[in-house]
Amino acid sequence: MTDSMRPSTIESLGLGTVLDIFKRGAMPASAAELVDRVFGPANKRGALVITGANGIVGAGKTMQLGRLLEPYGVPVVALDFPGVPAGLVKQYPGLVRGLGKDRAAAIMANVVQLSYDGAHLPRHLSPFNPRFVLEAIPEILEIKRAHYQVFRAEYPEVEIRSVTSGFPSRELGVGIAHPAFPHEINKVWEIVEPKPSPITALYWSLGMIPVMVSDHWSFVLDVLFTGVTLAALRYNAASNMPYWKVDKYVRRLVGPNPLRAHDAIGAKGANFLTWSCLEHLSKRYGPLFQPTASLVEKKDSGQDWYPPNHFRPMVNWPLEGQEVDEFNTWILGPLFQMTSLMLHEERAPLPQMNAIGELCAQFRDGIITVIRRHGSDAVIRTVEAYHRLYPAAAKSPWYPEAFAKMDAPEWQQLYVNAEHDGTVGVITISRESYSHDVDAELNRAIDWLKARKIDRVIVTGDFHLSSQLVGADITDFFPAIEDHAKGIELSRNWSKTARRLNDEFAVSVGFINGKRCLGGMLELMVHCHYVIAVESADLGMPEVTLPVVPGMEGCHWMFRKATPEYWPRILDLLLDGRPAKAKDAVGWIVDYAGPVADAVQACWGAATGNTRLPKRAVADKGLTGVPRDVPGLRPADGGVEAGRKAILDTIQKACEATLAEAITIQARHSGEFMATPHCRNGVVGSAFAKTMAV
Amino acid sequence: MKAQETVFPNVRIPYGTWGNSYFPAWQTSPLAEVNIGQFAGEAMGRILGKRKVPRQQLEYLVVGSTVPYHWKFWTAPMVAYCMGRRLPGCHVEQACATGLQAICVAAGQVQSGTCNVAGVLTYDRTSDSSVGIFPERRAPQRTVAIGDVWDNFGFDPSTGGSMLASAGLASRKYKLDRKEVDEVTAYRYEQYYEAKKTGFLERTAFPLEVLNMQGKPMGRIDDDLGVRRVSLDSLRAMRELDTCVTGGTQTHPSDGLATLLVSTPAKAKELSPKPEIDIQLVAKVEIRTSPGLMPEAPALAVQKLLERTGLAMDDMKVVKNHNPFAANDVIFSKVMGYDWHKMDRTGCSLVWGHPHAATLARTTIEGLEEAVSLGGGYVLIFGCAAGDVGIAAVFKVS
Repeated sequence: MTDSMRPSTIESLGLGTVLDIFKRGAMPASAAELVDRVFGPANKRGALVITGANGIVGAGKTMQLGRLLEPYGVPVVALDFPGVPAGLVKQYPGLVRGLGKDRAAAIMANVVQLSYDGAHLPRHLSPFNPRFVLEAIPEILEIKRAHYQVFRAEYPEVEIRSVTSGFPSRELGVGIAHPAFPHEINKVWEIVEPKPSPITALYWSLGMIPVMVSDHWSFVLDVLFTGVTLAALRYNAASNMPYWKVDKYVRRLVGPNPLRAHDAIGAKGANFLTWSCLEHLSKRYGPLFQPTASLVEKKDSGQDWYPPNHFRPMVNWPLEGQEVDEFNTWILGPLFQMTSLMLHEERAPLPQMNAIGELCAQFRDGIITVIRRHGSDAVIRTVEAYHRLYPAAAKSPWYPEAFAKMDAPEWQQLYVNAEHDGTVGVITISRESYSHDVDAELNRAIDWLKARKIDRVIVTGDFHLSSQLVGADITDFFPAIEDHAKGIELSRNWSKTARRLNDEFAVSVGFINGKRCLGGMLELMVHCHYVIAVESADLGMPEVTLPVVPGMEGCHWMFRKATPEYWPRILDLLLDGRPAKAKDAVGWIVDYAGPVADAVQACWGAATGNTRLPKRAVADKGLTGVPRDVPGLRPADGGVEAGRKAILDTIQKACEATLAEAITIQARHSGEFMATPHCRNGVVGSAFAKTMAV
Repeated sequence: MKAQETVFPNVRIPYGTWGNSYFPAWQTSPLAEVNIGQFAGEAMGRILGKRKVPRQQLEYLVVGSTVPYHWKFWTAPMVAYCMGRRLPGCHVEQACATGLQAICVAAGQVQSGTCNVAGVLTYDRTSDSSVGIFPERRAPQRTVAIGDVWDNFGFDPSTGGSMLASAGLASRKYKLDRKEVDEVTAYRYEQYYEAKKTGFLERTAFPLEVLNMQGKPMGRIDDDLGVRRVSLDSLRAMRELDTCVTGGTQTHPSDGLATLLVSTPAKAKELSPKPEIDIQLVAKVEIRTSPGLMPEAPALAVQKLLERTGLAMDDMKVVKNHNPFAANDVIFSKVMGYDWHKMDRTGCSLVWGHPHAATLARTTIEGLEEAVSLGGGYVLIFGCAAGDVGIAAVFKVS
């Protein structure tokens, strides 16, 4: 029997738990089988039809799904009106850039473009045997309904999903698969179905991120994105602060710059979509969602929000004194109130709702994380203060009780979950980058397992929301840029957490399943007694390229676990920044690498003790003979060179020390480097300046 | 005080919704780098924001400027766009009378029912004066290039003389004593620095940070740059350029803007942070005096204004003027029998400079602010303008 802190996110897709994957020794669904179920067997393979294929959404999804389905021989029919602007053509150069000319040509050879008049399907469609229609036509309810009728009249069995960002499934009469921008690469789909269908499972098995959401007007992403846009516009109206500056302050506060995003997507279409969502929401939920006059004007004109190049702004608009608090209220107040509404309606489980903001709407921390950080009382005070600033919003639904259970695991474990079967525990990380929130949740997950006497643990991604583990969240480094003590503290605390995986379990296994595991996430994984990876995964320590000095013991832990012949390779990994393939890293980073199923089985075997892998012990004493340079390193600019010197220095000092001493040495070097001009002028400093120094 | 009928009974100036930039002397600040129309539009938005006036309240915009700038053709609609609001509006230009004239034009818009709230925005950049290239058949080259600021200062086509020469001519007509003109100047500086010390300037002037093309701060305009204390001795030591005119007794070109709102009485109460304060424009007159005697024109305009309104100088709580030459004030004193010590108590354009269109708007704003601080009363605002013109207006603060 499995117990868990909270449900796994993949359970919501009907795919069982993460623990099930390891116990079964196989993934819960296979793309090949699901392609057969959705499109028919290979000898009678039907087609995917994308309607409105030349629009922003349609063209992007034609490219994305075309790329993923081409290996399975699923033809993609791109259907649109004759004479519409050629959206697909614009996608092709990106396809070539990403995949190379040959692969791009193969994908395009599998895409068939047909035209129709909106009322009659083209007769040439029939031989393709449409099995799945992804509708991406304009957001007009009557037109969409009529569109489905045309298909159903001719192909009664066809599955239809709408990409709508606003209409509920019950209004449309079809399921929803609402994708996130940028459509050609974003993997997230909000799914509205009575229960997860084979199409949703297929999405998952193709490496995308379907998220089940409830059947309400607009979905989580659009409530968040149009909500933060509306909040920005309301502040603009109240303060006169120009759009571009409001946008920068919104980015500093929560992450997205919604107005720039509208311009980047294409103001004409994006303005309409935002207005459309808000208009529908305001009809149902009142003035909280009422579009501003400025949005109506921009919707009608299609004008960008940012000024044209010849009117680059001349007057700065710094917020002064109390203005910052007022600004925060104008932005967070409506977001909190809108979120209370979504929580009340149970639009999605909390981790998913949180992740949608991060993965699709540029939220630095998901809205649930932000709310959790504020605490219930502060959130309620903020909304009440917002109602004083904008009394009309008080007439809309507001559910302060939605924040009452913030101590529950659903609130507390947004990024990290733990499951166990009484013997083996699995800790899953649902966030691609390591942050102080992940760190805190990971500690709670460890505590939870230990309280249940679980001393065997697997640490891994969640097979759903985090399709890769990319390292530390550099926004967590921002305080250290101005105060190295903060960097030292962060490094020491995160390292202590990582050491718990080594020190507090009889067996710990890090399992790397996604495309890559880098930086802080890799440092975390290597603290496990065993590291097992899918052979194609990239493993790397790119810190030097930022430059920063690895903070979670990356400069000595791998050396202590490897025999001296591997030390030059570890040094190269740290000083060059290029990743190594998992299959080439056996013996010095990982203990086993193989195909997915084999790796899953090896992981379970190691965790249960049924498979004996040679255990690489961590050397307690100081190491001698760690090399001091790597011949043939690529030339680098001044910042990277300084990073290399600092990392090399840290390696020497931390490796010479005992294991007990090394944690302090590593933390000090890492923290102090973050306050140097090299770091301030590098990627972290630039991101800080761009985001925070408004 | 006599009760007066205003010519604009349905017009008010909402107290506390106004503001101006500081006026840096020409070429001393980043304002020398900007498209002043765009800058003024953006700055007006910021000033109104600081004053808690959402720009949606505006229905019309009167802009005033005299020195051409890029896209001036588009006048108020362009400037309003830069403020962040698409408004109709018009452009007013009357040299240094522009500031006061723009207020009157806006008042006319409100009084006529065209709008309930009109913005007035006056601005000029004298730095790096724009140069006009004109076809001119009478010139041997068939084309002439005119530096808008300096070439116009130096040549009044109606008289053939310069502005500086008009100050000399008027000084001779009124037999001014150089010593008194220097004393007026020194006193005006003392008044300015005293006002600055008390924080008076900060009640109307807003610091503005200028951005460069990369969006990085280029500088903060938070002072009337270029203004330096002068002593009577140093003024007396200066070389006379014309009768009673030295480098010290005349103003200097500067860059800047000033903005205020004109509205219906109901809107004034809604927009003002102190709705109990009522500000009316009572009357305005203009006159044109004899050729080359510009510095006497303001005094003649005030004479006419008092005649029209039935008011006397003793009725005035605040007297404030645009005085590009200190001689203006001495002539005014002689013509009106009014002690020049009682004028310009919070500073004047002789000291803080001369961004043409914005000059009389800032003078008005400071005058109204001063009157409020004194508990209300009549405010007399006047000044001279190119073409030997005098303009004068009286406001009632109650």
